[in-house]
Amino acid sequence: MSTTTWAWLVLACPLAGTVILSLGFRFWPGRAAGWIGTLAIAASFACAVATFVSLMAKDPEHRRIASTLYQYANTVRVDAKMTILVDPLSVLMMLVVSGVSMLIHLYSVTYMTRDRGLSRYFAYLNYFVFSMLLLVLAGNFFILIVGWAFVGAASYLLISFWYRRRTATRAGMKAFVINVVGDVGLVLGTFFLFRSTHTLDFLGTFAHAKQIPHGDVTAGCILLLVGAFAKSAQIPFHTWLADAMEGPTPVSALIHAATMVTAGVYLIARMHPIFELSTAAEIVGASIGGLTAFVAATIGLAVTDIKRVIAWSTMSQIGYMVMGVSTGAYAAGMFHFMTHAFFKALLFMGAGSVIGAMAGAQDMDRMGGFRRALPFTFACMVIGGLALAAIPPFSGYFSKDEILASISERGGGWWALYVVGYAAALLTAIYTFRLIFRVFLGEPVTEARELEEGHLHHADVHVNPTDGEVEDTDVGFPGPDHFIAEREFPMKVAMTLLAVLATVGGIVLLPFHATDWLDKFLEPTFADSKYFGALAPTDSRAALGLVLGAVIGLAGLAIAWTVWVRRPGTSARVIERFPRVHRLLVNQWYFDEILDTLFVRPALWFGRWAQSFFERVFVQGALVDGAAGVVRAGSAAVRTAQSGLLRAYVGLLVLGVVAVALYFLLQS
Amino acid sequence: MDIRWYLVVSAFVFSIGATGVLTRRNPLVILLCLELMLNAANLALIAFARMWGNGDGQIFAIIVMVVAACEVTVGLGLIVAMYRRRIPIDVDEARELHG
Repeated sequence: MSTTTWAWLVLACPLAGTVILSLGFRFWPGRAAGWIGTLAIAASFACAVATFVSLMAKDPEHRRIASTLYQYANTVRVDAKMTILVDPLSVLMMLVVSGVSMLIHLYSVTYMTRDRGLSRYFAYLNYFVFSMLLLVLAGNFFILIVGWAFVGAASYLLISFWYRRRTATRAGMKAFVINVVGDVGLVLGTFFLFRSTHTLDFLGTFAHAKQIPHGDVTAGCILLLVGAFAKSAQIPFHTWLADAMEGPTPVSALIHAATMVTAGVYLIARMHPIFELSTAAEIVGASIGGLTAFVAATIGLAVTDIKRVIAWSTMSQIGYMVMGVSTGAYAAGMFHFMTHAFFKALLFMGAGSVIGAMAGAQDMDRMGGFRRALPFTFACMVIGGLALAAIPPFSGYFSKDEILASISERGGGWWALYVVGYAAALLTAIYTFRLIFRVFLGEPVTEARELEEGHLHHADVHVNPTDGEVEDTDVGFPGPDHFIAEREFPMKVAMTLLAVLATVGGIVLLPFHATDWLDKFLEPTFADSKYFGALAPTDSRAALGLVLGAVIGLAGLAIAWTVWVRRPGTSARVIERFPRVHRLLVNQWYFDEILDTLFVRPALWFGRWAQSFFERVFVQGALVDGAAGVVRAGSAAVRTAQSGLLRAYVGLLVLGVVAVALYFLLQS
Repeated sequence: MDIRWYLVVSAFVFSIGATGVLTRRNPLVILLCLELMLNAANLALIAFARMWGNGDGQIFAIIVMVVAACEVTVGLGLIVAMYRRRIPIDVDEARELHG
């Protein structure tokens, strides 16, 4: 089969899974729905591997293949076609998305077993994977926008999966609204590019990129960046991601860490021929990426919800990726995307296991000493943490340093981002090991001691971990039982594979040109880029980055060890010393409040005004009641003519006929 | 004979019918007057048919007779129904459909 046929099959498998799961939800007993969903994604992954193999069999110049299934509309110079573009970039995304999704499906099979609505869960999950694959395979803006919106919808459905939890539904709405703001940016940006190229096709647009007026390029790129920032949770569109942790933990691992949130990174990399024409977009993208990397890392230091710490670290890491692809370090950015998908999914799975051992509680203040109770989870979390904190020789070490070293090659003002990047790296190491030390070391809590004796803690009363509201365990709330990786084989398999990948994932692009597989692989996509290849770090810069990265990572680890293990209580003293800083960080730099004041409140105020004045007085009063009044007055006037007297009617008739006859007689 | 005489008679009969419809209140008489009007029209049609020497007007007149027969059937049926329900046989009294 041809390359594109395999790629179409990659899309078809999860779609079939969604349809089968949603139509047959009454008939799947027990875990069957989970296995069907996992199988669909495994088939998709197999097809992705086949696409990869068949793409590699071609010459490098022929590795960008567009395939059109059918033409939806071709009118008024809009060419809306069902087109996919198979090239190294989309194949890389496809492999990572379907591969990590497969493992997370596998993990979910046991993790979500006792939830009512398992079929619904896996149908949503399959739908998400389909949407994400559609997004990365899109061959024109039309399909890209469709995939982009589908992904947002899937995210909404999965965040609000426990739909009787008020906090979860609110978080879902928040995520959806912010994502739609991004969608609008994407659509408007597309318009600016479409206006002078007259094609929606990616390859056609790139071929005509030089003809687009400079103003349109800048406006289009900035608007595309709005879309990318909303999807990738960059400042100021980032507030939804921490709230998205209301969804089930595997969902956080899949959507809000490994795949969906990197769509913005993919978008910038995909649109590189256009972004490279706009210096403004480059600067905006890179500086927002750097800012997010730093700000999110500081917040990660202060929050105590285990999932939210990881969520803030996700934002911070995506900041690095955005910084990388905005400055032209495409291979490095995609490299970090790949390693991040591995270790972040692993960290979330570990967090899910800890939450299982805590019977649903997520607050780190209540955790401690799980090292002996959860040895496997501990090992996985340490591996994931070492990769995230960029300690050699784990994968994150190479990918992050590649980004920063490539930025340093740009020189000039870009050095500022280099410094910010390493400052955030120090914070990353600290908060990562803060999480691990606080959860796994120290005095074991009751739950940990019970588990050491072989008894998994069970909550008598189920409560919402966010606001403490009491819940039952029926449909719309989490199920009654919790699961830990130590006892569940599928969870263990998924975590082991990810731990291996998180450890050795760096091998695809080692410094000093030891290996450059990823570079070589991605080259056909970025052949027309002026930065790709030109930004390869010189040996001295690479060496500087590696030493600096290792020192900073280990320093962060040492600081975390001192503060939370060797001298417990240090953090409390620091908080006491700087209460304002702590409040700022715990309140997440007040971004929620600022957005609330700037946008939400004015919108609500405008809505109330529209309801009380515009709707009641103008629409209801003037338009609706006014039209009815005119008709009523008019009919009252002509009603008297209807006397009911037969002879009066006849008289009028005769008079009328006579009048008409006289008229014609006089005319002639 | 000159066609004008026929038309004068026709107009005269039509006017008698119309006056009857306008002035009488008994529906039975109104029906009779209607018949007068229709037949005045028939007279005019046949006169014109003869003038032009073709049969179109005669066919038209026969159709008018058929329609008139139907109309009388319906009208008489209404009058019988009114009578059975003891409703006064007077068109000025039957004016419930006023606006």
